[in-house]
Amino acid sequence: MQRRDVLKASGLAAAGSLAGCNGLFETQSLRTVPLVEDRPDAVYVPSHVEGMEMIGMGTKGRRAVGLMYSYPHRFWTVTGTRTEKVSLREEDSVHLMATVWDVETKTVLPVDAGVTVDVRRDGESVAKRSPWPMLSQNMGFHFGDNFALDGDGTYSVVVDVGATSLARRGSFAGEFADPLSVEIPFEYEQATRDEITFEKLPDRKGSRDALSPMQMDMVPLSTAPSAGDLDAMTTATTESGDATFLVAVVEDDDGPYLAVSPRTPYNRYVMPLMSLSATLTRDGETVFDDALPAAIGPSLDYHYGTTIPSYEGGEELTITVDAPPQVSRHEGYETAFLDVPAATVTL
Amino acid sequence: MSQRRRGISRRSFVKSAVAIGGASAFAACTNREQVDVPQGTDDLSTLPQRQHAWNDALDRDDHGNVVAPRHRVVLLLDYVGEGTPSDDEREQVEHALGSLERAYARGNDGLLVTVSYSPRYFSRYDASPAGVELPEPEALAPFEDPDLDRPDAVVHLASDYGQVVLGAEQALRGEHESLNGVEMAASFDGVFEVAARRTGFVGRGLPAENQDVEGLPDGDAVDEDAPLYMGFKSGFEKAQASEDAVTIDAGPFAGGTTQHLSRIRLHLEQWYEQDSRYQRVAKMFCPAHADDGRVEGVGDNLGSDSGMDECPVPHDSARSKGMVGHSQKSAEARRDGSPRIIRRDFDSTDGGEAGLHFLSIQRSIADFAETRTAMNGTDVSDGSAVGTRTNNGILQYMTVERRGNYLLPPRAHRSLPRPDPAA
Ligand code: HEM
Repeated sequence: MQRRDVLKASGLAAAGSLAGCNGLFETQSLRTVPLVEDRPDAVYVPSHVEGMEMIGMGTKGRRAVGLMYSYPHRFWTVTGTRTEKVSLREEDSVHLMATVWDVETKTVLPVDAGVTVDVRRDGESVAKRSPWPMLSQNMGFHFGDNFALDGDGTYSVVVDVGATSLARRGSFAGEFADPLSVEIPFEYEQATRDEITFEKLPDRKGSRDALSPMQMDMVPLSTAPSAGDLDAMTTATTESGDATFLVAVVEDDDGPYLAVSPRTPYNRYVMPLMSLSATLTRDGETVFDDALPAAIGPSLDYHYGTTIPSYEGGEELTITVDAPPQVSRHEGYETAFLDVPAATVTL
Repeated sequence: MSQRRRGISRRSFVKSAVAIGGASAFAACTNREQVDVPQGTDDLSTLPQRQHAWNDALDRDDHGNVVAPRHRVVLLLDYVGEGTPSDDEREQVEHALGSLERAYARGNDGLLVTVSYSPRYFSRYDASPAGVELPEPEALAPFEDPDLDRPDAVVHLASDYGQVVLGAEQALRGEHESLNGVEMAASFDGVFEVAARRTGFVGRGLPAENQDVEGLPDGDAVDEDAPLYMGFKSGFEKAQASEDAVTIDAGPFAGGTTQHLSRIRLHLEQWYEQDSRYQRVAKMFCPAHADDGRVEGVGDNLGSDSGMDECPVPHDSARSKGMVGHSQKSAEARRDGSPRIIRRDFDSTDGGEAGLHFLSIQRSIADFAETRTAMNGTDVSDGSAVGTRTNNGILQYMTVERRGNYLLPPRAHRSLPRPDPAA
């Protein structure tokens, strides 16, 4: 037992010193651009735009998992209305991004259970963590974090996706209820990473606008439906905290269903992990006043909604944001959707 | 030391003697610790009837909190024989355990030991233990997929001294004729074989000393004062059940309790490198504790009470703060104002990974399962900004890898019990 430990230790020390050299080269090319000064409390164009590369995908049943990477970069986690900037570590090699979608409808599934990513090499775990649910301007909702790899080489990335307990509508009913696991090979080479586009935006940075969504053949984006896409009894739109709220009342078997679909401006991405409540009044009388749980469906996508007692037309709806979206933010989103006052629309 | 190879192998990881085990580790500890460990009593009839009655034998800190023994070895044991154990084997096991009790006094500076038995053990008799629900282990959250432990028995050894847990382990394995100047009348040799060995530590300074493992950032993220890797004091008097409350009160196993043992892998790079102190306090205790700055350092200032009365109900924090604390959720499982489990958990470097062996005792396994359900916070995340793991206590930072359930009988029936020892 003991002798084995000793042997193991000496073998590893040798491997470790080689990797030390790799590490040195790796850190030199990390790219950083200073943050935009005077960021507005709203969505803004970040200091630079980075491309990303597809690593691969895995499919099980109706769900597909796509894995992408880019340069490691700063982002912000959100707890309550506070943001916390996550800076680069010198050893970070990539920003890994995973996205999960329904293959039949190409709907991105911001599953509440999240994902766990285990980066493995030669049967050993190199890094394992649960990446943050995130929003970025070029990719919308995904799970992501910076990872430190062990230099160039062949990795295998195991992505575990949790079972969802979100309310599911239409053809999603009963689906996605099991965890799933996919393994995606990753041939990593720093030189290849460094070919990913990286462009500073000296003229546009800081302006109230957003980067365009990335176009990828294989991977759908978390784009929310526009009013015209919905078969609804009524739709209305309001804005608050730089978020747009599309409200729809749709006919369901058990009565009218009230859906509130908050989305980002410019790119129309869904906004998961909010606490929303709604008060519906008709001629000054309260018809409905309660929390709106998150739900997902093939036409409404990710939204917040519930069945309401009745809908006649002309009702007033007040949407209260009890907690803003707790998704981590890539640059350009970290100052928006934090202070989101109540908003009222007439349906 | 300074290399940055990722993975288990990146670290020139120095295992503690307890983690390594064996004769030379025992010798090294005995040399280094230089203590006279007090011998145990000659009159075993004076020992408590409850194997799990540890608290009276343990030290208390300035606030009256029980001070957990610092070093641990847990042995998962398989019964060697076919079918059911014989009376001779029963006697051999009892002699071995009795010898340990004569060798070392009960207490932090001596030894505490318990033996517990799995559902699989009782299935040798095609029976379940009389009067006790002892289910096979199972996954306890929709997002976990643990391997299930099915040894026959589990021995838990605890002491402030590494040499004591190692000495006791070696003696049970039949490798010491005598221990601390006391003859070993018997060992487990020929009755049990060791299927798995789990080790660890808890208490000020030890996590910081053992932080060179996978799952923690390089460097010295863990506070020198922290008793556990996550950086906070745990096991406050008022946040633990009483030993009376976890004791089985009727039937042939009255005076016993049930034990759950899980192995949890910790992923604390995000915790230390990405979360702020505010977020750590909010996620471990509750957002109100973080807002009001109620936790200083590792939390000694809390005294004997983690202050759960001052946290709003989890649902309110979830809706209005978008996050909820681990303790705040777990406290939802209290019965008549008291927690239902006693946590006797400890950190570990087993496998070169930061881990936690969550060992807890409770009157029934259902008490554990319901406490764990409260900690999952599924009802809290449904309909709020809190995710299944995101901002949901400490769930993002841990993966449950193994689970096992055991009956921890009263002392009188601790050696290879029949399913109905009264019959
Ligand atoms: C990953 C490792 C864990 C760590 C570091 C941890 C840490 C803590 C801390 C610091 C507290 C508050 C301080 C105290 O009063 O003790 C606490 C409370 C508690 N934890 Fe954990 N915990 C962990 C896992 C678990 C697990 C797996 C359970 C199982 C259900 C659990 C159940 C509880 C309970 C019941 C309380 C007391 C709640 C009350 O006040 O009623 N913990 N824990």
